[in-house]
Amino acid sequence: MTERTGAVFDLGYKPYEGQRLGRSGAIRTIIKDGFRRVLGLRRKARKKVYPWSLVAIAFLPAAVFVGLAFFIGDFIPEADSPFGGHAEYIALTGAIVLLFVALAAPELLIPDREEGVLAVYSSRPITAWDYILARAGSLFAVVAAFVLVPNLLMYIGFAALDSRGLASALVGNVDDLLKIVAAMLAYIVGYGAPALLIATYATRTGPAAGTFLALMFGSAAFAEAFQRIDFVGARFGTLLALIQHPEVVRDWVFDQRPTSAPTAAGFEPWASAVVILLIAGLAALLMHRRYRSEL
Amino acid sequence: MAAVAFTATDLGHAYGDVVALHHMNLEVPPGRVGLVGANGAGKTTFIKILLGILEPTVGSVSVLGTDPAVDLVAVRNRIGYMPEGDCLPLAQSAADFVSYAAELAGIPPSEARQRASDILTMVGLHEERFRYLGDFSTGMKQRAMLAQAIVHDPEIVLLDEPTAGLDPAGREEMLELIGRLGSFGINVLVSSHVLPDIERTCDWVVMLDGGQVLRNGPLSSLIETDVVEFEVVSDADAVAAELHRLGGIVEIQGNVLILSADGRDPFILARDALAATGAPLRRMGARSTTLEDIFLGEAPSND
Repeated sequence: MTERTGAVFDLGYKPYEGQRLGRSGAIRTIIKDGFRRVLGLRRKARKKVYPWSLVAIAFLPAAVFVGLAFFIGDFIPEADSPFGGHAEYIALTGAIVLLFVALAAPELLIPDREEGVLAVYSSRPITAWDYILARAGSLFAVVAAFVLVPNLLMYIGFAALDSRGLASALVGNVDDLLKIVAAMLAYIVGYGAPALLIATYATRTGPAAGTFLALMFGSAAFAEAFQRIDFVGARFGTLLALIQHPEVVRDWVFDQRPTSAPTAAGFEPWASAVVILLIAGLAALLMHRRYRSEL
Repeated sequence: MAAVAFTATDLGHAYGDVVALHHMNLEVPPGRVGLVGANGAGKTTFIKILLGILEPTVGSVSVLGTDPAVDLVAVRNRIGYMPEGDCLPLAQSAADFVSYAAELAGIPPSEARQRASDILTMVGLHEERFRYLGDFSTGMKQRAMLAQAIVHDPEIVLLDEPTAGLDPAGREEMLELIGRLGSFGINVLVSSHVLPDIERTCDWVVMLDGGQVLRNGPLSSLIETDVVEFEVVSDADAVAAELHRLGGIVEIQGNVLILSADGRDPFILARDALAATGAPLRRMGARSTTLEDIFLGEAPSND
């Protein structure tokens, strides 16, 4: 006879008497869930391919570039780098940001709505604004990592190669850091806000991503057409170049000469920053209007 | 615990020109409450107002003493909700999602995972907890939805048509689970148009029709009548004659007598008639009606 070594007990229902983190805990949870979604973590393998490919594209050149730089004597970063300096590298990562947010924004918003999960959020200690800002926060944080980390790698790499010494160069080039952050914000808000707005009203992720990319590229073509039209006020049409506004701001903060449609039409670079902020504000209001009816 | 679970004061809500709720006044105690009415009676609208998703066009509500229009987060801190339709992310496992639902209520991650596991076991999904929700049957999805609604130990859980789409066996299991919630210290508001489900699970009933309150009270007082039904082994005619003599109104169906007493206690009349005739009694009790009878008899929309 087998000796009895254990027993199974039905413990039934146990009330929860532990710590509750409240509204801030709920918001942190949504942000954390957003990271997982946009990077495909805890999801099926196919969900990981696209985001991690873009991560590799964003990070590898900087890593290779800094690595090579250590082996090249008399290295002059801006001149010897195949990617130029920070402004050029941000242009590269900016294109990756565009592709990333195209799919990440729908992935963040559409499944919750289409699968009815918003009903669960409506019985948790959050408001519609909390949900929107937490979802936007997770997108923006991941995108910030796309832009910041490779540039920080370069920043530190450049400083390590600097004849003044690492510490002096880090302090002396701190302006570059601020410029990187300003340009990064322009890309995040300039591309993220329209992507989130489209995802707010779309029902499927693929078409939402396609619509966003078509809007961004189409807006540039539209703006260039306005540039060629000769009638009063036509130049304001160049401000529709949604894809170009972050580039204008990037060139502005890095003291480079912008070549975009709005600049060619005579607008100062700050106009692009204003357009980015206006679109972000409008997107936030429309998103809230949409989500308030379900949350 | 508040002495009143929900109140509605002159509550009205309209979707454009369509009036969903019309000057509702309610006071509902804690416990297991059934919200019944035909489709379109205003049940889901009322639930969405309690959750703070919709704002009243006129009037106000309170949940455990708090108005969601005034302090939304305070109400949502104490509430759970199982919607009528799906609310499950199909690409996630049950354990991941229910744990996430617990974290959303502010429960720290490690405790949320443990709690999700316990609750999924309780609703009968222990073996399936690591399967993707997209692979679940309708009955399993309903149980997962119930799990997310109670995983954070809410004070009140709102269940909107919890047996919708279930086969008879699944419906039995769901009703049994809902019946147990009261013993866990969780107040329950069950919305359903399946009236027998409410009779089985609730002890208080709010009956809506056309956005108005038709009845609001304890289930027992709604379904019990002032009619006594009793069965004798023999001599039914003699008992009936004696009841007539005592002033009762009697209907005979074989050996079963259905007695009303026009304001007097019919049990006393029945006792006296049985004593006078010496007829042996087989069974006796207050005759009850059903929610369905009440609803069909009283709802203006059924006219």
